[in-house]
Amino acid sequence: MKQISNMSDLFNRLNDLKFAFKYGQELIPMIQSIIDFVKETVPLLEDINSSIADSTNKIPRVRDQINNISDSTELATTEILDIVDSISNDISNVEEKIKASKESESERQKHWNEIKEILNKSGHTQLIDSYESSDQNSILSSEILNTLGGIKQKVYNITLSLQVQDITSQQLASVNHLIEAVRAKLSSLILLLDDKEISNVESANSEVCESTTFDPNASYSKSPERQELVDDLVKNNLDKTSQEEIDKLFS
Amino acid sequence: MKKIILVADDSPSIRKFVSFALKLKGYEIISASDGMEALEKLPNAKINLVITDLNMPNLDGFELIKAIRNNVELKEIPIIILSSLSGSEEIKKGMEFGANSYLAKPFDPQRIAYEVSKYLN
Repeated sequence: MKQISNMSDLFNRLNDLKFAFKYGQELIPMIQSIIDFVKETVPLLEDINSSIADSTNKIPRVRDQINNISDSTELATTEILDIVDSISNDISNVEEKIKASKESESERQKHWNEIKEILNKSGHTQLIDSYESSDQNSILSSEILNTLGGIKQKVYNITLSLQVQDITSQQLASVNHLIEAVRAKLSSLILLLDDKEISNVESANSEVCESTTFDPNASYSKSPERQELVDDLVKNNLDKTSQEEIDKLFS
Repeated sequence: MKKIILVADDSPSIRKFVSFALKLKGYEIISASDGMEALEKLPNAKINLVITDLNMPNLDGFELIKAIRNNVELKEIPIIILSSLSGSEEIKKGMEFGANSYLAKPFDPQRIAYEVSKYLN
């Protein structure tokens, strides 16, 4: 009786085995297609990996170029400012000279009045008219001073406009900071994909300029509104501080 | 005697702008590229006023103001903040630390001359 039961078990197992082979045969093409897919994907993944490594290696160069741009504009701005400074000094010198000349002009006018009186007495009125109509010094001096005042104002405006360089360099520093964050992320991605590549990437990681400080929201605007807003905030803060001081006194 | 102003800013062009705006008004300008350099220069020169940026390497503007206000010999020096940071938090912090005025970048040369004259004339 026990022998019959064992044989029945054996048949059941053989049946299971037959089903396993049957399913296995059906699965083989599917497994083959997975293997083919992986085979095709591997070069693609390697391509992606090397592209990421390549891009990551290029980032420090991009960062250096941005720094170079910032340095160059800084240098150019400083040079322009030196020139503007020199122009401004020249204007001031010319202004001083014209003012001095105007002062001596009043002295000369005093002498002329005396001469005019003598000429009037001797009947040389035509000579007086002809001299006075040709004497435009006083008017010219005033006009030149006005023009110089205008030039001075324009020089001031140039300095205001040149401040765009400072704002731009802060914006570039902010972009550099973002680029560096992307580089760090890509480096960690490469580390996950391929241990070998990381050494190249790390070696390409030139030092981040930690001495650079920036305001990521720096923006250039000549509108006085920003300063007005700051003034309001300062005033509110001072008022609040005064109130706090009063409260302290009475508490 | 000319009044001496210390300008602390890590941007060479801003130091030059400020110098340009104030030199014309007859002030002498001393520059520092960060808060640390400013602190080193402060005791040696008879500084009448400090103009400082907030974002600076080594020692920022807030720390510089704090250091000046905590120094018995320097604490009375008027301080003007000149920064592109113009949010209420920075202004509040700057004024609480002891700044006397706050100017936003880009600044108007005439306005900075006016602010300086408030404390030095």
